[in-house]
Amino acid sequence: MDQLLTGFADALTPANLLWALVGVTIGTAVGVLPGIGPALTVALLLPITFRLEPAGALIMFAGIYYGGMYGGSTTSILLNTPGESASVATALEGNKMARSGRAAAALATAAIGSFVAGTIGTIALTVAAPLVADIAIGFGPPEYVALMAVAFVTVSALLGPSLLKGAASLVIGATLGLVGIDTLTGQSRLAFGVPSLLDGIDVVIVVVALFALGETFAHLVAGTGASRVEPLRGAAVLSRDDFRRSWPAWLRGTAIGFPIGSLPAGGADVPTFLSYGLEKRLSKHRHEFGHGAIEGVAGPESANNAAAAGVLVPLLTIGLPTSATAAVILTAFQSYGLQPGPQLFTESGDLVWALIASLYIGNVLLLVLNLPLVRVWARLLTIPAYGIYAGVLLFACLGTYAAGGTTADLMILTVLGLVGLLMRRADVPVAPAVVGLILAPLFEQQLRRALALSEGDWSVLVSTPLTVILWIVVVLALIAPGIFALYRRRRGEPAPAEREHAGDPR
Amino acid sequence: MTEDQERAQARASALLGLIMVVAAVVVLVDAANLRESDDALGPAAAPTLIGLLLGVLGGALVVQGVRFLRTPQGSALDPRRLRRLAAMVALLIAFALVLPILGYVVSSAALFAGAALLLGAPHPARVVAYGWTLAALAFLIFDRLIGLSLPTGPWGF
Repeated sequence: MDQLLTGFADALTPANLLWALVGVTIGTAVGVLPGIGPALTVALLLPITFRLEPAGALIMFAGIYYGGMYGGSTTSILLNTPGESASVATALEGNKMARSGRAAAALATAAIGSFVAGTIGTIALTVAAPLVADIAIGFGPPEYVALMAVAFVTVSALLGPSLLKGAASLVIGATLGLVGIDTLTGQSRLAFGVPSLLDGIDVVIVVVALFALGETFAHLVAGTGASRVEPLRGAAVLSRDDFRRSWPAWLRGTAIGFPIGSLPAGGADVPTFLSYGLEKRLSKHRHEFGHGAIEGVAGPESANNAAAAGVLVPLLTIGLPTSATAAVILTAFQSYGLQPGPQLFTESGDLVWALIASLYIGNVLLLVLNLPLVRVWARLLTIPAYGIYAGVLLFACLGTYAAGGTTADLMILTVLGLVGLLMRRADVPVAPAVVGLILAPLFEQQLRRALALSEGDWSVLVSTPLTVILWIVVVLALIAPGIFALYRRRRGEPAPAEREHAGDPR
Repeated sequence: MTEDQERAQARASALLGLIMVVAAVVVLVDAANLRESDDALGPAAAPTLIGLLLGVLGGALVVQGVRFLRTPQGSALDPRRLRRLAAMVALLIAFALVLPILGYVVSSAALFAGAALLLGAPHPARVVAYGWTLAALAFLIFDRLIGLSLPTGPWGF
């Protein structure tokens, strides 16, 4: 508690408040642009924070992260082009509401729900993170290996239409993660003598290529159809009835989002869909679902934001990113000279608590900024598609140059952009590739460390109760979908309708 | 999803799978050329595993895609669109080559204008003006204000 107060004292200096304000503003502005989800927002804006001192950089970065989340929901509601699969559920009802002239109410419930969920999520993070860090400090390489195996399996199974496509994406990312010098023996792998490949491919380049260039190329190939921006009338306020229907959904969404987000398993998509399903089941206005029910916006949007806070738990305490956004945040930390993991809280406690304090502050700033200014953000959506994508391309190249600094890096960007286009066309999700890129090298490192300690005895991997449990989870996650399908076929039930992929979320 | 879209998706899956299989061979050959160490798990273990997985998953994608495409009909991707994509890739490569010589502002303004025109912008003159403004702003903010050193041309920007 004292530490959190010290964190607030650090974050509330005029300079740091200014960085937080700048962060949330540009985070929202970029996040609002169609096709740009939080992961890409964070990756594109990372260079801005490079030259600040670490505390200021982290505080601005936290603002960008939460700002990107807020901006994304505005776009989902007004334009029905969710920037990431985690906002698909918001778009389902939110866009229907906007079409029937209730855009203002949808935006208000999303903004206030984000605030409620973000604040509760951050409180839960404040409580949970030090506890988890205390447990994690006892983890050895075998525990890390098992945890990452869980993350691999769940990320490929949950972040895409099928296990095959999710796994394909993960392995593509892992292949990119191989590139560079092997830290143990100093030999170069898959570098082909190219100097900029020797230090590995920067995560920012991969994220920018797969998300931004993939999206731009897809627009080019598909021919840009004019997308319809729903008009926004009136101020973003909630009527008494809307509020009465929204607040339980905000709390339920938060209750689903934070715990699932903080598991060392695949990210923020699942809680949003669970919340959507729950609200649909519980609502007294079930007939409104599919035509714009406000609970269907309030619940998933809260779940999304609570999960975004939850994802920070495994990231900060174990160093385990479970979503594309978290993978970029991990790189950001490393570029400020910080290594997320159990030691982070003891070694750089001041910085972490300043970061957590600025998450609270960022949430308040965003609520203040979003409710009155939502019209300004909505106007950004009327920028024509060619302007947005040409601009995205310009900043994508800038970010790549800032991360790598050579012509070869820009070539790599282009090639990976084509891979991103192909993945998009094949309906292969992009997010697992980013997680694979980060986790596969860590997995290899920990596995080799574990086997070095045990002198080659593989049984070290199941030497503690926790590792055994985690490996059982891995096996269950692999066979569960098959068993469910078999069970349904036995009972003669039809398979559940495929998850609706509105637009092209990834 | 219409049948055309499904076919396009199956074609893309098959192509992606094919590229993965080719990449698998490259990864496996690269792994085989690494010197072994005395560690329990040498530097070649991870690439070998990933290479095998790439091959298997890529192969599965190819099989899945080809099975769907077995009945031949329908049109391939519109050649005009492919040409636009090729032009965009050429533009990006040209940008990468020209950047150290002509400096950030000129190259980026050209990249913006070229990309916007390929994406269907109606007014060439206006697009060039937007490109200049955006590139100059980005240079001022990132180079002068933030201190990221961007390449400058013979004219200093």
